Amino acid sequence: MNSKTLHSSSQRYEGCTLTGALSITAGVEDAVTVVHGPEGCAHHNVSLLHAVMAEQGRPAVPRIVPTGLSEQGVIFGGEEDLAATLRAVADKRPGVIFVLTTCITETIGDDAASVCSEDYGVPVVLLPTAGFLGGCFSDGLNAALTAMAGLADPVEEAGETVTVIGEKNLEYEVEENFTEVERLLASLGLEVGLRFVRDVRYADLKQVGAGRLNILREPSLAPVGEMLKERFGTPYISSFPIGLEGSTAFLEEVGVLLDLRAEEAVRQEEERQRAMLASFADLRGSVFSLDPMTFRALECTPVRRVMEALDLQVDSDDAGVSLPYSPPVGTAGIRRLLHRWRRRVRA
Amino acid sequence: MKQIALYGKGGIGKSTTSANLSAALGARGLDVLQIGCDPKRDSTRMLMNGAWIPTVLDLVREKGEDGVSIDEVVREGFAGVRCVEAGGPEPGIGCAGRGIIATFRLLERLGALHGDVIVYDVLGDVVCGGFAMPMREGYAEEVYLVTSGELMSLYAANNIAKAVARLAKRSKQTCSLAGVICNAKNMAGEEELVREFAQRINSEMVAYIPRSRTVQLAEVHKQTVMEYAPDSEQAAVYRELAGRVLTNDRTSTPTPLEMDELEDLALQFAEI
Ligand code: SF4
Repeated sequence: MNSKTLHSSSQRYEGCTLTGALSITAGVEDAVTVVHGPEGCAHHNVSLLHAVMAEQGRPAVPRIVPTGLSEQGVIFGGEEDLAATLRAVADKRPGVIFVLTTCITETIGDDAASVCSEDYGVPVVLLPTAGFLGGCFSDGLNAALTAMAGLADPVEEAGETVTVIGEKNLEYEVEENFTEVERLLASLGLEVGLRFVRDVRYADLKQVGAGRLNILREPSLAPVGEMLKERFGTPYISSFPIGLEGSTAFLEEVGVLLDLRAEEAVRQEEERQRAMLASFADLRGSVFSLDPMTFRALECTPVRRVMEALDLQVDSDDAGVSLPYSPPVGTAGIRRLLHRWRRRVRA
Repeated sequence: MKQIALYGKGGIGKSTTSANLSAALGARGLDVLQIGCDPKRDSTRMLMNGAWIPTVLDLVREKGEDGVSIDEVVREGFAGVRCVEAGGPEPGIGCAGRGIIATFRLLERLGALHGDVIVYDVLGDVVCGGFAMPMREGYAEEVYLVTSGELMSLYAANNIAKAVARLAKRSKQTCSLAGVICNAKNMAGEEELVREFAQRINSEMVAYIPRSRTVQLAEVHKQTVMEYAPDSEQAAVYRELAGRVLTNDRTSTPTPLEMDELEDLALQFAEI
């Protein structure tokens, strides 16, 4: 399960809960995240986030501060260390402090909740992630999104915009994928209001109930979608569109949920897809080699469809070309995929 | 060097037994180190004439691990017995077991773990990895179970026997059961019961310590029995225990009882 040695593999579902939660809290621009535990718990996460963020063209170091528990803290309890760190961080006046617990502090039984409930002059939000005790990466991610959704202000009436929920901040094509969703929505005359959680500030988080529609990044975020639906009555779509058929189905689904006429948008999108495929006519009948990651991508039906459409063949003997691990988002995702294949064929 | 550990239920008299045993060994001219491994830190008090010596963990808390010197943690008490208290976190926070582990590492680093006999006086209700440390890491080679004839203290002793049996299965076996000490409550049939219990778990009762007022009197005077009443019968009992411990070379892997076996046994000897 963990044979993720290739650069293109950026899925991290087997990681620690902390990593999952940090991939969300680090997306809040004016937040500082305090990791209550040993230095190492924060360090390897900072490195990971920093590396991925740099790859995405945003080289800022994520604002993560560990309480730096040592054996002394483990023996005598780390509550005082947490309080001291919170005081020091609060002095810098961030918009919000998120606090994540680690397996160490949950094992020794620190009462982080009561430490966090004191007044530090800035909002302090506890996310009891609990390291391995809390589950894995996706549990941390869900827990962070759910907790943040809990901060939302009540809304009188749904607004005009659409909210995007749970983008994979630790992936390599986050912006490309978002742009594609934005484009599809625009073809229906819709706009994205809030990216929950990416490029936002603490105050924006409170607007999470204000959208007309929530679009989850992927189906595993259903608990957050359900929670928001229950609280604000906002309908949700459970995933970003995958591949060509996924894109048109997405337009139709948005149309149904928001009572919009989607036929014209769907027709135009199909037209666009035909033109796009036609522009790759030179690939027709080509033979590819596989690498393990390519192989994963080929298991994805939308990718298979495109291969059939262009009559592409697979030859398993040669050294392979690498592909994105997660399924390509939208028509644009397929186009990027075909570009890569073309480069491979011409190399 | 002989390294022994006394384990048993809280309140059963481990510290009194340990302190008097150490005193008796010290009186023979042996170099003895007693380490109290209980956050309550009252193991060595009677050897120190009632003084609470600073604990290793308190010093670590104040000065950090590197700031602690051997003279601060090892204090000389009655009969030349060198006394150490591990101490622990305040109740309800942190990890006391981890504290024991840290204490041992520190004592080792300071070069404190030497002498003819080291007596580890370990709180016995809790045998998590931390409190099993003396047995686990080869500090204590011989384990003595201190118990009375009361069911709950037999139950605790049996549990510790389980820990010893489990540790005996490790690749590097370092500890084994050396015997059962009956610290009597003066119940009818108590001596027989404890002797039988010891045999059933594949061991032996190495001492029967009768309940005696001398112990309470010594305590009021903040002394061990060995110091307060060296000529008393009770002092003779501890001297005998010391002799027995020194010459004891019979150790075994215990065969702990099931709960209902233990209850049946207690019932058999109980006064009805
Ligand atoms: S698994 Fe535990 S120790 Fe490791 S990084 Fe996560 S919280 Fe820290």
